[in-house]
Amino acid sequence: MRASVPAMLEPAALKKQKETGLIESVLAGRHEDFHELIAPYRRGVYLTAYDILQVEADAEEVAQEAFLKAFRALRGFRRESQFSTWLFRIVINEARMRLRRRREVPLESVFPGEDEDGDYAPTMLADWREIPSDALLREETRRLVRESIAELPEMYREVLTLRDVNGKNIAETSEILGITIGNTKVRLLRARLMLRDIFVERTRRKPRRQPSEGVSP
Amino acid sequence: MKLDCKHIWRELSNYLEGDIPDEVRREVEAHVAQCRHCAALLDSTHNVLVLVADERRLELPLGFNARLRARLEREMAVSGPE
Repeated sequence: MRASVPAMLEPAALKKQKETGLIESVLAGRHEDFHELIAPYRRGVYLTAYDILQVEADAEEVAQEAFLKAFRALRGFRRESQFSTWLFRIVINEARMRLRRRREVPLESVFPGEDEDGDYAPTMLADWREIPSDALLREETRRLVRESIAELPEMYREVLTLRDVNGKNIAETSEILGITIGNTKVRLLRARLMLRDIFVERTRRKPRRQPSEGVSP
Repeated sequence: MKLDCKHIWRELSNYLEGDIPDEVRREVEAHVAQCRHCAALLDSTHNVLVLVADERRLELPLGFNARLRARLEREMAVSGPE
């Protein structure tokens, strides 16, 4: 047995202990404790729904549905996974269902499956410069990011939202999506490269100047 | 083994995650030091991801928490977890 627990582990362990207590309390009939249980996840759940659906009203409805579903199904929550993992799986499923209702043909069907080892090749641009970091804080840029995320095919939007927006680690992301860690990494790589391409393309399309004749200085 | 550009693209995500064996990391860095295309790709992808992480600060819609609470309370009043 180890003499001391690394300090970093304590908050996570405490959090889990507190969550377990709240879950038991809700199941014992103190329903109002559910509000406290979900408080740390309200923003993340909404963000996830928003990034997948891209419509505020839909995202709010889906977030509410997800929390309602979590409340009703709480007794079925298996303790071996984290509460947040279980919760985010519900959100992803709710958001997917909403998307299915919105459109019949999933966008990703035109992209190769990740098991085929088809590499994603980033676009070679004539002016292959980095995206200037002084642009990072501009509101316009944030809008472009949002629009670029929206343009990603659903499966890539999901993985990017969980890992890069919500900051879930790879293991939790793969557990939420129900795919292997290897596939999560492949999907994430494509998502990131694709997002960069879309973002660069959108940045260049901005009407700051007329489309160039293809000549770099 | 010297890595070509295609290998760099494949390792890019793991490199940004810091989830990469030391040896491969050194190969990536050696390649990037002499290939401006891959250097720009790495920088720009990193910058885009910084922006994406900034999305985390997105404000919840006004009244979101109150509406959520109200909806949950309506449910709690009629039933509990099954």
